[in-house]
Amino acid sequence: MKLYKKEGNIIQILSFPNETVEKGDYLLVEDGEAGKALIVQVIDVQFANIPGVLEELLRSLPDGGEIIQGEDIDPLEIAPHITYIQDSRLLICKIRATVEGEGLSPSSSWLPSRSQSTIKKLPISMLFKLARVDGKLPIVLGGTKEASLLTIDATSLDGRLNIITGKKETGKSHLSKLLITSLLQYKATVVVLDLNGEYAGLGMTSDGKRNAYYNKIHVLTPSQNFKVALNQLHLNVLLNILINALHLPGTSAREFRRIWQFLKEKGSLNLHELGEAIRNWHCNQNVRDALFSRYYAMVNSGFFTDNIAEATLLEECLFKAREEGGAIIINLRNTSSIDRQIVVEYVLGKLVELLTSWKLKAVFLFAEEAHLYLRETYWDDIVTRMRHFGIFTTFITNQPDTIRENIYRQADNIFLFNFTNENDLEVVSRAARVDAETVKSIARDLPPHHCLALGKVVKDFPIVVKVKALDVKTMGETRLFFT
Amino acid sequence: MDVTLPQRFIELSIHSLKHMQSNPFQLNQQTLQQNSSLEQIHALQPIPLNPKQTETTIAAVDTSSIKLGETSRGIIIAIRGTSVWKKRRNYGYLRVGPFIFHITEENLKEVYTTLLKAYFPEQNSQASPGFAQIPMRMANLLEKWLHASLAKTVNNGIILFDGSLTAGTPDTPVHQLKEILNTARSMGNTVLAFTKMTTLRLNGYLITDAWLNQKPPCLIEIANLKPKPPLVLLGDVYVAKLTNGNCAFRLDIDREVPTPHKVEAVEKLLGNDLITHSYPETLRLAHILCTFTANEVIAMQHFIQQKYRLKLVNRPDMHRLLFGPFGKGESHNEAV
Repeated sequence: MKLYKKEGNIIQILSFPNETVEKGDYLLVEDGEAGKALIVQVIDVQFANIPGVLEELLRSLPDGGEIIQGEDIDPLEIAPHITYIQDSRLLICKIRATVEGEGLSPSSSWLPSRSQSTIKKLPISMLFKLARVDGKLPIVLGGTKEASLLTIDATSLDGRLNIITGKKETGKSHLSKLLITSLLQYKATVVVLDLNGEYAGLGMTSDGKRNAYYNKIHVLTPSQNFKVALNQLHLNVLLNILINALHLPGTSAREFRRIWQFLKEKGSLNLHELGEAIRNWHCNQNVRDALFSRYYAMVNSGFFTDNIAEATLLEECLFKAREEGGAIIINLRNTSSIDRQIVVEYVLGKLVELLTSWKLKAVFLFAEEAHLYLRETYWDDIVTRMRHFGIFTTFITNQPDTIRENIYRQADNIFLFNFTNENDLEVVSRAARVDAETVKSIARDLPPHHCLALGKVVKDFPIVVKVKALDVKTMGETRLFFT
Repeated sequence: MDVTLPQRFIELSIHSLKHMQSNPFQLNQQTLQQNSSLEQIHALQPIPLNPKQTETTIAAVDTSSIKLGETSRGIIIAIRGTSVWKKRRNYGYLRVGPFIFHITEENLKEVYTTLLKAYFPEQNSQASPGFAQIPMRMANLLEKWLHASLAKTVNNGIILFDGSLTAGTPDTPVHQLKEILNTARSMGNTVLAFTKMTTLRLNGYLITDAWLNQKPPCLIEIANLKPKPPLVLLGDVYVAKLTNGNCAFRLDIDREVPTPHKVEAVEKLLGNDLITHSYPETLRLAHILCTFTANEVIAMQHFIQQKYRLKLVNRPDMHRLLFGPFGKGESHNEAV
């Protein structure tokens, strides 16, 4: 390999056919005299612009598009050399860091010698040693293509905002399950907003037996084993539900607050009494109608109950998880859009309440296709306010444009699976922790179950990893007509 | 095709290269061209042509030479030749080379005369060419060998040469060309030689420009040409306008072939080969297949470097050095 060109932080390296280098590989450009080396990553492999190649190709197809039949007598055996030159490649590489002595710096302000530099492949294991990607709480994500394991530190997810994205059936949910189970090993509290009921089988092996996480998985299905009684609710949580999920106008909300205070003082906070109070309340008819329509929406959701025995205390599950670690799976499958929003408002409100009162230390929140249930104002809340309370969110989506740009900008870690659509790649490339060229070039060619890990988990050295297999029961499979 | 490998080419090529190991050489690519001059031309009436579909093999030969660079003792050249034929609607080719030679003052004569004697023993050894002519003359030797091979192996076909049938030049002795034409004729072949660039003029106009308005396909015979000695015309000279457009070429047809057969040969060519811009596809392919591309030049330089551990040195171009952007480079100057 030979150093050819440098423009900005892009280096072009000439590589010959006997040198196997692929997209995503790391190279070390060592300048012995300068005592420094550049760590560069191949983000694209192109044919070298060899003069005369076009003529070469054109003359091999002169007979109306068919290859002309003939014999070459090449006594000096020049043909292999022609092929060698023709197949030489240009590696487009991004400068990631400079190695100087024992240390690494992100600088790319120096230029290694074109004639004296030696270029060799940098194994991922060596890169990690240099970058000190290790830790006390290892999570094995999978294998790199050099067959070495990619191990990240669980602390690099702690207090961070993560995004798992990629097109359908590339392995996003699989990775999030891997992260959840790995976090459980370290006694973390995890809450999963499970849109398709995919995470309900986390406590079971693929053949239906209980696994090590069985006792740590709590699946809560709204209106089935997950109901709340009004007297368990804080007024603010219910008002959030009414205003944000059920779009109750401000005037009506003020009346509702009075009704709530009235019932609370009376000691009869239940659905039946609430209905009666709205019916008999002295207020404008329009306000009454607005309150009634929301009341019936709440009743019809089945999420609220007057039966205390039926009501599941989310708090209890969270406290249980706090001690030994556990995952609370909020199964939103078969839940209508409005009901989903009611449930999510309740869960997030409850989490904030418990976290602000320090009853919980921190929670890892996994949210699948959050745009389907998360209200507009929550996005900013999650990356700013809630983060400080201790809600560390991982968004999982196959529609990257549904996540706001500022979320990408502030994301600490991105696990990027294959995308072929230009627009999707364009959206993801807005992430602050990675350059657009890397995202666009590498993500397009990722095979299924391979992801490009970006951000703090890999110390900002983008790595392609094949996510390791996980022995958990697959749930939420797509219903098919022909099978 | 029954073609024996040009063994002496290979032996000499390897031998010459072995004697240049670790000599630095300068990269320099340049093409050499040949000229010819004739006078006193008289025009005749056009002969209309009717394409004849009678199945006839069309064969053509072309060669290329290139200077790969300089060493401290000489130059490195490469030559390659191609025969292309069209038979039953299919094209085929035989490409020999590239042969790479290291030519020095010491071995120039030896290399040239050895090859000449090996392939044309009956030809008298003339003065060996200089450095400037050697690539062209070596390619010419290979071309003549390919001509001879085709003349012997093709039956009742049309053989297309690149250039004219003018003999008596240092690279085309009369005896040599005559023998090739005789052999071709004995096998029932007709030799047609297309010249891409002619210097023949009629009333001040190039002969190929004089009949551009004629309806193609047609031939115009340029009779009573008297070349200056020692030049000899072994073919009758025509202007061939074979397709619409602004292209016409000088066409030499073996003089010993009876006139009706000459016209018939061109008609068979029209009926059996693809003609674009008045030029036969078979000859075009021969040219395309033997021409060295820049990629191949790099590959040959790579080969020399790898196999003979040659250290490449680029000598400064004095024209560029002295005149900057006004210096057009040595090769350009030499060509002028």
